[in-house]
Amino acid sequence: MHGYEIADSIQRISDDVLQVEEGSLYPALQRMLIKGWVKAKWGTTAGNRRARYYQLTASGRQQLETELSQFERVIGAITRVIQTA
Amino acid sequence: MDWLNEIRRRLWMLIRHRQFDVDLEDEMRLHLELKAQELVRAGLTPEDARYAALRRFGNTTLLKEKSHMVWGWEWLEHLVQDMNYGVRAMLRSPGITIVVLLSLGLGIGANTAIFNLIDAVMLRALPVKEPGRLLLFGDASDCCISDYFPNQVLYSYPFYREMQQKNQVFSQVAAVFSMMNRVHGSVEGRSETEPMNVQLVSGTYFPMLGVQAIAGRILTDEDDRMRDGNPVAVVSYSWWTRGLARNSSVLNKKLKIGSAVFSIVGVAPKEFFGTKVGESPDIWIPLSMQKEVLPNVDGYNDNFSECLYLMGRLKPGVNTAPAAANVNLLFQQILRGFPGAPLSQENLEKLAKTRVELTPMATGLSELRRQFSEPLKILMTVVGFVLMIACANIANLLLARSAARGRELAVRQALGAGRTRLIRQLLTESLVLAFAGGVLGVALAAGARRLLLRMVSGGPEAVPLDVSMNIRLLLFTLGVTLVTGALFGTIPALCATRLQLAGSLKEGRGPVTAGARNPLAKALVVSQIALSLVLLVGAGLFLHSLMNLMNVDTGFNREHVLRLQTDASSVGYKEDDYHLTRLYAQIEEAVSALPSVRAASYSLFTYNEGSWNNPVSVQGYVSADSHRDVHHNVVGTDYFATMGIPLLEGRGFGPQDTANSPRVAVIDETMAHTMFPKGSPIGRHYTRGGDRGIEVIGVVKDVKVNSLQEDPQPIDYYPYTQHSRYLNDFEVRYSGGLDAVAAAVRHRIHEVNPYLPISNVTTLDEQVERSIGNQRLVAQLSTFFGLLAVFLSCIGIYGVMSYVVTRRTNEIGIRMAQGARRSTMLWMVLREILILVTSGLVIGVPAALAGDRLVSNMLFGLKPIDPVTLVSATIVLLMVAAIAGYLPARRASRADPMVALRCE
Repeated sequence: MHGYEIADSIQRISDDVLQVEEGSLYPALQRMLIKGWVKAKWGTTAGNRRARYYQLTASGRQQLETELSQFERVIGAITRVIQTA
Repeated sequence: MDWLNEIRRRLWMLIRHRQFDVDLEDEMRLHLELKAQELVRAGLTPEDARYAALRRFGNTTLLKEKSHMVWGWEWLEHLVQDMNYGVRAMLRSPGITIVVLLSLGLGIGANTAIFNLIDAVMLRALPVKEPGRLLLFGDASDCCISDYFPNQVLYSYPFYREMQQKNQVFSQVAAVFSMMNRVHGSVEGRSETEPMNVQLVSGTYFPMLGVQAIAGRILTDEDDRMRDGNPVAVVSYSWWTRGLARNSSVLNKKLKIGSAVFSIVGVAPKEFFGTKVGESPDIWIPLSMQKEVLPNVDGYNDNFSECLYLMGRLKPGVNTAPAAANVNLLFQQILRGFPGAPLSQENLEKLAKTRVELTPMATGLSELRRQFSEPLKILMTVVGFVLMIACANIANLLLARSAARGRELAVRQALGAGRTRLIRQLLTESLVLAFAGGVLGVALAAGARRLLLRMVSGGPEAVPLDVSMNIRLLLFTLGVTLVTGALFGTIPALCATRLQLAGSLKEGRGPVTAGARNPLAKALVVSQIALSLVLLVGAGLFLHSLMNLMNVDTGFNREHVLRLQTDASSVGYKEDDYHLTRLYAQIEEAVSALPSVRAASYSLFTYNEGSWNNPVSVQGYVSADSHRDVHHNVVGTDYFATMGIPLLEGRGFGPQDTANSPRVAVIDETMAHTMFPKGSPIGRHYTRGGDRGIEVIGVVKDVKVNSLQEDPQPIDYYPYTQHSRYLNDFEVRYSGGLDAVAAAVRHRIHEVNPYLPISNVTTLDEQVERSIGNQRLVAQLSTFFGLLAVFLSCIGIYGVMSYVVTRRTNEIGIRMAQGARRSTMLWMVLREILILVTSGLVIGVPAALAGDRLVSNMLFGLKPIDPVTLVSATIVLLMVAAIAGYLPARRASRADPMVALRCE
């Protein structure tokens, strides 16, 4: 996916709940590029425009899993706190 | 390896950062356009859609910067930017830049050059295995051959062997003859002899140092086992190159030295110069062969012929303290155990008190170091001061410039530049200056190197010292450069950025705020003056001291004496042989017959060539320590006439003093006064060792033996007719041109014996000059640097006063418009300069006095407080400062009131 598609899909999948400042996607993508979590390659869009397509790498997937389990632990903890309250 | 990949990606980005920015921009533009299209599809007008897309996206410029900075190259980009800016700023004011670079170049260059010498003479470790584990017995303060008991500096060969076998603390002990010997030998197959520097060493020398041969083998203990048994030699790399043109069959070559033919068994590594800094032997020969190199010394089996330095390599895990304990125990045992040891009550007491010090010898031995370490330290301080003065100058110029840039900086700060960012920029600019100065300094130092080496050598032959560029030197220069840059850059940068924004922005439109930065600039000038005074006074003292030394009465007449050396031992003459004496007499006669020669004579020594001394005894004379050494010299009949030493009493040597006539001696005044205090010494007798009944036939004036600073020494002279031994010095008193005489003398000598090698042709005057080489070095260089300091300070004064005058042009205009006279204006500016200089002097005088105390043992014939020097230095500084200040002052007084008022 290229940048716009990523932003668009976040917005769509979350049913417009997550509306971040779209541009802040780009510094974040750079950070992931440095870490090697995503790789980028240039291609053309359906409208025949030059665009950079990002793809998750193996180490990116691994990082995602780590982050997810971390996230789930936190969410779980929060949920338990709310339930007992 | 994730982090490696990460670095690779970051570097890739750095290389392609321009493309990176273009890509990012494309990407963002696409995003915006796609968003706008979507919004148009949703029903917005294209115009509204574009704005909405932009709103949703956020600040594109900021986001671009953020994305860029994520990669972490911001610092580098800023540095490059700042450096570019610094270079442009330098080019914009070429005048200031040239002054700054020159003072920096001179300052850094001087520091580099002096440090280069200090490094070569004092700091560099020997190129051997683990030099830190090497220890020297004693401190090498004595040299040559001695029979003093007990001697803890020089040792005999049998002592070395005993120590080598019995000690428990060294993995190996080695001995090296305490001086290098210059002999005349020949490469087999060549007819002519050539001078060679031979170092006698024990067979353990190379193995102990851990030095390997680059061709053949090193000397081993086996080569040193039997007296006269192994004529083998290791040659130095440079001699192999010089003497044998790096011939690959070097190991088949033979060398003829004395009566022996030596086989070359190996070549030492290129960097190995032995263990004495400032000397580089051509050939190393085992001590077992010493009789061939030194025909008149045979110390191989003599327990008390003390002529060696001993050194050892500590066993792993052993420290100096236990090693010293072991060595001292053995020292006492070995000396007491030698058969025939002079164990009188007095000597036993002396022995009990004697301790062998073990000195670290990682940096090697050095005569040069003893002579030059103090001068070099003084010079290092001096050049350090010069660099500080240069720094003060540059700081001042930068202050002036940054004040001129006040508005620029204020505008930038008003636009949101952080103060740290601005300071960083100003510091970077300073460092750019400093580095340019550093490069210039290294270039200057490279030029100064040869000059300095020549000054240290003090003669036509350069001391073999490696003063080429090396890493340590470059690091030193880099360090100095960085410190310099920080020193002169920091204060101006801090001051320049500490601005009252509103005021600065308005500046130039309202009344001049002159006072703000002046105190600092003035403080800098004051400290420059103070430092300059210290340097000038120092230079004055050293010059004065040098002049005192040059006016010292040497006792002999140093003018118009040619001195050369011949080597009779290398062409087969033997000591205690009639032929040797006759050779000397024939040469003296042949040379004396030359029309331009007034007198000529052989002698054992002339001046500053070491000495042969031991105690003499006169019946009825008891000296304070009963061990009054007398310097002996063996001379020809015309020696006193040749040297111009006046005869005070009695007669000189004559034809009546022959090998068979009674033993006679001429003594000097000091010996006459101290040993024959009552009545005339003429006709009285004394004893030297086994020589009993030496009759005094004459008294001559005292002469200096080894240095101009020494006190009068007792000396006696013997005629060579009664002491047939090798004499190497030949002196000729001549008139007319030196070169012609030298050629004629050479010719005459070769007429007597065509094979006799002649070397070291020089003059007596040069020998005297060479003995004060270190004093001359300090005096000349400190004078040069003192003047440089004054010059730099003048630039400082001129710069600051020009600046002050420019800033006050307006004020001056008003004053003059109101009727102030030109002379008043002149005085106003000059007064300011006088106050500055006087405050500098007030600080400088006590500092100079304190400094003089530190160098007082380098001074000759001066009290540490020398009023003449102090006063003249002060006057020089005042005058020069007045001249430097006069130009801006005159400009102030010449100002046209109308122009001045319209100014700004």
